Amino acid sequence: MKITAFTQLITVLAVTAWVFLLPVPVVALILVLELALLLYIKHDRLTMAAIGALTVFTGMMILLQLVFGSSFSVSLIGGLRMFVMTTAFLCLLAATKIQDIAQALVEKFHLPFEYAFMLTTALRFVPDFLADSATTLDAQSCRGYSNRGNVFKRLYSYLAVVKPLVMRAVAKSDTLALSMELKGFGANTYQNMQPQKLQVADYGVLLVVIILSFYPFWAKYL
Amino acid sequence: MIEAKAVNFAYNRGQPVINDVTCKIEDGEFVALLGHNGSGKTTLSRLFMALVHPRSGQVFVDGDNIENLEPADLAHQVGYVFQNPDLQILEDNVFSEVAYGPICKKLPKDAVKEQVIAALEAMGLENLADAYPRTLSFGQKRRLGVAAALALNPRTLILDEITNGQDEQEKDNMMAYLEKLNKEKGITIILITHDMNIARKYARRAIVLNNGDLVFDGRTQDLYNGERDLNEWGLSQPVLAVLSAAMGLSAYSVEEFCQQLFPKEGDER
Repeated sequence: MKITAFTQLITVLAVTAWVFLLPVPVVALILVLELALLLYIKHDRLTMAAIGALTVFTGMMILLQLVFGSSFSVSLIGGLRMFVMTTAFLCLLAATKIQDIAQALVEKFHLPFEYAFMLTTALRFVPDFLADSATTLDAQSCRGYSNRGNVFKRLYSYLAVVKPLVMRAVAKSDTLALSMELKGFGANTYQNMQPQKLQVADYGVLLVVIILSFYPFWAKYL
Repeated sequence: MIEAKAVNFAYNRGQPVINDVTCKIEDGEFVALLGHNGSGKTTLSRLFMALVHPRSGQVFVDGDNIENLEPADLAHQVGYVFQNPDLQILEDNVFSEVAYGPICKKLPKDAVKEQVIAALEAMGLENLADAYPRTLSFGQKRRLGVAAALALNPRTLILDEITNGQDEQEKDNMMAYLEKLNKEKGITIILITHDMNIARKYARRAIVLNNGDLVFDGRTQDLYNGERDLNEWGLSQPVLAVLSAAMGLSAYSVEEFCQQLFPKEGDER
């Protein structure tokens, strides 16, 4: 069953609302379903690392809330909500191509295509940026850069990696902007993607989304 | 001196990239590290610089096992010049850029100045000391990369595809500087390259890797004798080597070829 990027975006937005609307046990159940779905779609090292990092971050959030005087249950529920919302986005990114998300944003949500393009470009830069940062780190290490000493020393010396990376990113974006303009970007007359039409599965998912989103009403009146 | 003893390496859980490689590069050698794309030549050079560590086997630099060292610990012994100079340019002028390494090593100010000037002169950049590094030509940036590595007075220089993307004149320029460093200062040069003409002309020794295996280690002239079939290793004989061999000549450049083919009076063929 394949659902369109539009339906997936609506579902993700709905999940961010459900974490506040639905009872906590249901939110916990959604989390279990999300994790199962995420691992079904992609179970590589990167996904596991993302889940691991998210778990650590959630733990820190819970701890922070406890430190600032929230009760244990409130902190735990807060952490759970954040975890569920973020996992929904992870599922979206794992299941859908960025181009499809951008297309849905332009077609269905009427986002100006310049902004959608900016989103896809920014995300496409990430792997390049990571590769460049690894190379820069290696290059500076070969010239004597070392990540040793106290935190302040480390942060200061890390400028040797950050500075070339920023300069490189600026140069790359400049080249990209120029090449896009040369290709006629902005003329807004070129359409190279098939419109995303909703299928039966999409309507099914949207129906479930609507029903669940109206939980406060039917919980009160039924 | 760099020595690899029965070195094996693989990235993460992937296929082996280096298989049981053993080789020794003595001080003052000019070595070309050759092989097709993905043959493992860059990985082997990264092992020499402690950028990665072997799964098994050992790498020795000047007799010391570098198993527990970082690249920064080796920077004063081995200089590594990367393919893309833009990824390491940090400072606002050429002098400061070259001074980064010596400053990292906490050398006294006078020593920093002295070593930077020597490195700039060695690469012909002394007149550009105040220039903004990003405005230099590609060839000059490459030479800046070499100067930055040289500023730490390493005994060995590893150069990864240093002549890629340069015009012939700039290539010759760069290679002339490297040859001078090798001959006059005795700096060991390890040149990773796809350019067979450059390897044949400048390197005295060639190490060839094929799918992670060391398949040739010997004199460059034995590799490029114009007769050996290098296709199985993803390499090819330079046209000049084939022509020279067919005609019983030993020319390393078109000029030499012409001179040997049409010797003027008084020249020996």
